[in-house]
Amino acid sequence: MQSRPITPNGAVVFGLILIGATMATTGLPGLAIVAVLSMTFAAIEVGARTGIALRRSIVLVFPLALFMLIVWVGVVGRSPTEIAAGVTGSRSAASLHVAFICARLFLIVFTIQLIAARFAQTTPLRFIGALQIPLAFKRLLVLTLSLVETFRHAIDRAHTALVACGLLTRRASMRNLFNSWVLLQTVWLTAITIVVGRLRDKWPIENTLSQLDRALADGEPRSLSRRDLVWLPIALATVILAIGAR
Amino acid sequence: MLTTPRLMAIALCAALNFSIGSIVYLIKLPIYLDSIGTILCALLLFPDRRAGFVCAWISGALSLILSGLLINPFVPWFEMTDVAIALLSAFVITGGAETFRARPLPSLAFGIRVVLYGIVTGVVAAVVSAPVVVYLFGGVTGNGSAFLVALFLKTGQQLMNAAILSGLAADPFDKTLQVLFSALLYRATPTDFIAMLRTSHDLAVTTDNT
Repeated sequence: MQSRPITPNGAVVFGLILIGATMATTGLPGLAIVAVLSMTFAAIEVGARTGIALRRSIVLVFPLALFMLIVWVGVVGRSPTEIAAGVTGSRSAASLHVAFICARLFLIVFTIQLIAARFAQTTPLRFIGALQIPLAFKRLLVLTLSLVETFRHAIDRAHTALVACGLLTRRASMRNLFNSWVLLQTVWLTAITIVVGRLRDKWPIENTLSQLDRALADGEPRSLSRRDLVWLPIALATVILAIGAR
Repeated sequence: MLTTPRLMAIALCAALNFSIGSIVYLIKLPIYLDSIGTILCALLLFPDRRAGFVCAWISGALSLILSGLLINPFVPWFEMTDVAIALLSAFVITGGAETFRARPLPSLAFGIRVVLYGIVTGVVAAVVSAPVVVYLFGGVTGNGSAFLVALFLKTGQQLMNAAILSGLAADPFDKTLQVLFSALLYRATPTDFIAMLRTSHDLAVTTDNT
C-alpha cells in the first residue's frame, strides 16, 4: 500500500457507494448528509474543477427538473402520496415531491461528474486500463466508445447522402417519417462495412488488438491507495447515516 | 464464446442502442427505441441462443452504462428490463430469424411475427419496468412516456397502476417498432459478417504474431 492519490478503482467504488446511499435515502435529511460528503470530496479531491462538474450536472438535470415540474405540478397537480391516500392534494406537495426526486438525481449526476472531473487529465483509454475488470470488458468499453464516434460520422454521411438523393429532407416532413428506416439501414451497413474492413484487413496488418491490450495493461497501478482506504469507510459510514436519517 | 468478431458485434449493437436511444430521448418522443441493438445482437448470433443471450445482454448493459453517464442518468436502473429483453430476444424472437432473412420476403409471416414478438416483448418490458419507475423515480423518468403516466394519474389511477398502464400503452408499440427495425437490419446484414460471428475462429487474434 503506497501513499498515492485516489485511484480510478477507488473513485468508482466510492461513487457507487455514494449513489447507493442517495437511492436508499427516503428524505431530504439523508440527501443532505450525502451532499455534505460529496462537497467534501469535491473540495479535497477535485478542487477547481468542481465548478465544471457542477455546471455539467445542472445542464443535465435542469431540463429533467423542468420536465418533472410540468408533469407533476402542471398536469397532475398533487403528489403520489396524496394520490395513494385519495385526497384532493396540492401543487405544493407535488413540488416537494419533484424537489426530492430532482435533488436525488442531481446528487447522482454530481457524483459521476466529480469523478469525471477528478480524472479529467486521464484519457478514457488510461482510465479504463486502470480499472480492475476483465480485459475483455475493457476492450469492449474502448471498442464501444470508438464505435459511437463511427456511428456519429456514419449518421452525418448517410443523412447528407439521402438528402442529396431526395429520400430525406433537412426539415421535418412526411418523407422523413416514411424513409427514416433507410437512414437507419444505411448507417448500419456503413458501420458493418467499416468493422469488417477493420477485422479482416486493418487490424491484423497493424496488429491493433495486441497494441490495444498492451495500452490497456499499461494503465495506472490497480491496487487501492491509502487515500482510497480513507474515502471508502467514510462513504460506507455515510450510507448508514443517510439511511438512518428521517 | 466471446471471439473478436463477437466483441465487435456487441460493441456495434451497444453503439447502435446508444445512438438511436439518445436521439429519441433528446427529442422527448413517448417511445424508447433503445433496444434495437440488443434484439439485433441475439438475431445475429442465431442459432447459438446461449451466446445470443450473453452478447445481447452485454450490449444492452453497455449502452445503458454509456447512456447513464452521458445522456440520461435514469436509464442504468432499467438493467432488469434489459435482461428481460435479452432473454426474450435470444429465446423467443430468434424463432423468426429464418423468416426475417427469407428471400423473397414472406410479407404476411414477417408482419405477423414482428407484431407478435413486439407485443410479447412490450408486455414483459412494461411489467418489469413499472416497479423501477414507481419506487425509484416517483413515476417520471424524463422520457415522453411520463406524459402517459400523468394522464393516467389525472384520471385517478394509483401510481403503480398508472406506471403499468402507461407501460402497456406505450411499450408494445415501441417494442414492435424495435423488433421491426431489428428484423430489417438483420435482413440487410451481409451474410459474410454473420458467418464471421457464427464461427469460433477468431480472425484478428489468430493473426497476431507478437
